[in-house]
Amino acid sequence: MSERILNPDLGFVKEVISAGGESLKKCYQCATCSVVCNVTPEDKPFPRKEMIQAQWGLKDELFRNPDIWLCHQCSDCTANCPRGAKPGEVLNAIRKLSLQEFSVPGFLAKMVNKPVFLLLLLAIPAAILLASGAGVFPDGKVEFGKPGGFLFSLKYIDPLFTTVAVLALISLGLGIRKYWNAMSEGKPETNVPIGAAITETVKEILAHKRFDKCEVASARSIAHKLVFYSFMGLFVTTILAFIKVILEPQTGYLAYLGHPVAISESFITWLTVVFKIIGNASAAALIIGILLMMSNRVKNAAKAGLGSYYDWLFISLVAGLGITGLLAELLRLANTPAAYGMYLVHLCFVFFLFAYAPFSKMAHMFYRATAMVFEKKSGKA
Amino acid sequence: MEKKYGVYICKGCGIGEAVDVQKLIDQTASGARLPKESFKSHDALCSPEGIAMINTDIKNDGINAINIVACSQRSKVEEFDFPGCVQARTNIRELVAWSQPAMEEPTQALARDYAVMGVIKIQKGDLPEPGILENLNRTVLVVGGGMTGLSAALESARAGYDVILVEKEAQLGGWGAKIFKSFPMSYPFEGLIDSPVHAKIKEVQADSRIKIYTGTTIQKIDGQPGLYDVTLQTPAGEETLKAGAIVLAAGWKPYDATKLTRLGYGLPNVVTSVEFEEMAKTGKITRPSDGKPAKKVAFIQCAGSRDPEHLPYCSHFCCSTSLKQAKYVRELGGSDAIAMIFYKDIRTPGQSELFYKNMQNDPGVMLTKGDVTGISEAGSGKNLYVEAENTLLGEKVKTAADLVVLAIGVVPATAGPQQYLDGVAAAGAKGDEAKAKYIEETPKPEFLLNLGYKQGPEIPSMEGGFGFADSNFLCFQYETRRTGIYAAGCVRQPMTMAEAAEDAAGAAMKAVQVIEHVAKGIAVHPRAWDITFPDPMMTRCTSCKRCTEECPFGAIDEDAKGTPFYKINRCRRCGTCMGACPERIVSFKDYHVDMIGSMIKSVDVPEEGMTIIALACENDAYAALDTVGIRRKQQLNPAVRILPVRCLGSTNLVWVADAFSRGIDGLMLLGCKFGEDYQCHFVKGSELASYRFSKVQETLNRLQLEAERCQMLQVGIDDYAKLPEMIDAFVKNVEDKLGPNPFKGF
Repeated sequence: MSERILNPDLGFVKEVISAGGESLKKCYQCATCSVVCNVTPEDKPFPRKEMIQAQWGLKDELFRNPDIWLCHQCSDCTANCPRGAKPGEVLNAIRKLSLQEFSVPGFLAKMVNKPVFLLLLLAIPAAILLASGAGVFPDGKVEFGKPGGFLFSLKYIDPLFTTVAVLALISLGLGIRKYWNAMSEGKPETNVPIGAAITETVKEILAHKRFDKCEVASARSIAHKLVFYSFMGLFVTTILAFIKVILEPQTGYLAYLGHPVAISESFITWLTVVFKIIGNASAAALIIGILLMMSNRVKNAAKAGLGSYYDWLFISLVAGLGITGLLAELLRLANTPAAYGMYLVHLCFVFFLFAYAPFSKMAHMFYRATAMVFEKKSGKA
Repeated sequence: MEKKYGVYICKGCGIGEAVDVQKLIDQTASGARLPKESFKSHDALCSPEGIAMINTDIKNDGINAINIVACSQRSKVEEFDFPGCVQARTNIRELVAWSQPAMEEPTQALARDYAVMGVIKIQKGDLPEPGILENLNRTVLVVGGGMTGLSAALESARAGYDVILVEKEAQLGGWGAKIFKSFPMSYPFEGLIDSPVHAKIKEVQADSRIKIYTGTTIQKIDGQPGLYDVTLQTPAGEETLKAGAIVLAAGWKPYDATKLTRLGYGLPNVVTSVEFEEMAKTGKITRPSDGKPAKKVAFIQCAGSRDPEHLPYCSHFCCSTSLKQAKYVRELGGSDAIAMIFYKDIRTPGQSELFYKNMQNDPGVMLTKGDVTGISEAGSGKNLYVEAENTLLGEKVKTAADLVVLAIGVVPATAGPQQYLDGVAAAGAKGDEAKAKYIEETPKPEFLLNLGYKQGPEIPSMEGGFGFADSNFLCFQYETRRTGIYAAGCVRQPMTMAEAAEDAAGAAMKAVQVIEHVAKGIAVHPRAWDITFPDPMMTRCTSCKRCTEECPFGAIDEDAKGTPFYKINRCRRCGTCMGACPERIVSFKDYHVDMIGSMIKSVDVPEEGMTIIALACENDAYAALDTVGIRRKQQLNPAVRILPVRCLGSTNLVWVADAFSRGIDGLMLLGCKFGEDYQCHFVKGSELASYRFSKVQETLNRLQLEAERCQMLQVGIDDYAKLPEMIDAFVKNVEDKLGPNPFKGF
């Protein structure tokens, strides 16, 4: 075992404490947490070591490590901690800080995680959307994306959201690359092929294998599955809807650009029916899942901790996204012009979630997946 | 005194159901040759009616020798108290009714033997009168002016006693006055406080009962409780005074840090916790090498302590001290200063745990378990590296520090003299020449008390006691082997100032007790009710000096001609001298060689079956036997008659001849476990008895008996569960292997 140089960093300790890890210093290293944790590896288990690393402000040791993301915050540790040090909450705070460390540009991560910036961040999509043709409420039947009518016409909405999504993906990619490099630094290459590691990880995530090992917050697995699969469903819906708006004979993108394609009306109808079914089912699952998550968090608050702004911002956004989407749809079906207003709010939520994904808790899926791939590649699991 | 006997038999607590009391009266009357009119029974003798019955007999019939045949002598002490009467307690409750089958012949025989022995005890015993010496002094001498000494002085003064407080340094206060701040001692255990010593000093100085001698050491202490002659060496010269009792509160010294080069001591930026206090008093935490602010301060716990190479024990308060000093770093060193604590285990006993929690909560106090393997200089800047293994942060780590503080261990002030005296003794064992050489070559440490004691000039340490003052930590924590001298504070064990103040109060109360007891002629612990004392028939003394050698408390000295004489106020009444004396001239009024011998000889020895005598130490073995009865789960062997003795050290060899010539089949001695580290109240009574009885072979050979008939068993007070089996095994061995005593029936 080589000798490690410790660089205690008081500033970082204070950062963890103010980021939601205020119980950090209560830990006296009994390791009950590592013993009760069902998702930790046998070798060098977390979160005991993360707790003392955080107490000493050993930022690099914490960030250059898959373990903080391998934790699924079951909160079994928090529930069983004899000193109320809440390791689950502390690791969550550390994860939040690691997003600030790795995401590009870092200042956005700081803004996303500070309540004072919430209105500003929400105002950005609202302003863009309104500036792109506010106040134009088309007459007649309520229909989103009516050509020549309301602001959310194809002309604006899709290029805008596509650009935002691409930028977010680039930012995420850069962040993930930094994280991967940080984890790999000084560690030996292994023979596990990256492809195999990714395949295994995807399988594991789809099955929610680790989540199912949680005890105290076991109900969270169901809620998380609902939300997770509804996001997958909504992703599929978006893709199919996108295909539709590209291909539609008269009103589609290609038609708009002067290159209409010959496609049967019945295909378009069929496609619409399919994604409407998937979309509505997913929306229902999302709303149920996220409400379950909220109630679980409140119910388990005594044992597992209530969570921080970082958690609740994400949960609230997802809930808002689902509920405003549903309401917009219902209002549209009721043929009320208020549907346009609700749709505007819904799009603000969508924008927020996508644009700030690399900096908010939304990013957890990417970082956690990366940590799991790294773990498998390094032969740890 | 003309005796008028009364034997009172209780039928309560199941005795009436286990024993035929009328028959017992008949048997005891014939066995002890007493008229039946001397016997009375009662359904509950300890009830007000029962006691009234006895008191009426005392008043109306002039009864003055009473045998209470009821429960153990260890219970109902207050009820069965008849001043002016010779008294025996015969235990047929725990040892008969509660540990034998009811209404069987052996049970009845056992009760008969015990009752007869009780009568013999009052026949042979006399009413004791206290032996009170003249010109007793009531002043408490307190040695040491630190937290413990100051507290002991104040407590004694408040109890109404004059105090002489001796401090070797020019100022009162000891270490407590030298620290910058103290850790908190009351809820919520948060902020640091001013050392409580300063307030104590003021109180002591304001107390007219306390006479303070600073810059003073003790040149000599002669005498005994109530009659100490103390010679002081004051700055003005020698001064002699009298004292009645002594509290030794000489405190501690930091362990010699020069032995801790392994932990970097000797490097300019490595200091001890004691030196760090001095630094904190300047208001700045700096590096001694260049005076620059020290921002990263590493504390190394157990510096010397819990280390077989240095001090094997835990020094108790260093963890709290380092946590306190970590606060100095945080408060004096600026908001970016950090304190890193490397510990073996954080030990903050009692409520100090709250202080630990509070300090741990400070983000700038970083803690890890770990074994520090080295402290090295990082370069010309005199920066330090702390290297540690097996830490919670990894197996091998290294961190930079501006300053390293060694949490230095505690060495009691008694350790130096003890080590020197042990050295003299060890050299003496090799011969006079070696001893003289040792004395010549070894620097003599500063002695604390310089007692005129045959057993040595200081309070001895226990074997394996690391130089801490002797203490019976199980039962009487202040009990030392020097009657009237009570150790308190860090000479006894490392302790915090709050604990030292409490400890001092305890020792002061013991000092007060000894003063009061010698004034009334009563012994002190453990026989703190006893007014008897050893009263030798000196005309028959051969000056063999065995008593002076064996007395554990130095109560017997020799005059110029070599004749022993008692310093009776030192005596604890164990009777070791009575057991030691080959001439059998030492007696107590209610306990003597002839009394116990006659009791042994009074046992009815039937032709058939085994009859065994067990002499049991009153402090441990007899209590364990009582417990067997109280638990009512096991049966005691009915062949065995149990006689309580003050200490096995008081057993005289003649009792062996008494027993075996009477036809007794076996003799058991039930006494404390051996060893100086064992907590025998009379130091090593059972060991002495064992030594004496190893010589019993001669006696037994003369009687043509097997040595195995006489055996010693080491019994602790908590051995009650296995004690019946131990006794059964002995009886079975005698019965199966040796058979009946051939003298039976003679």
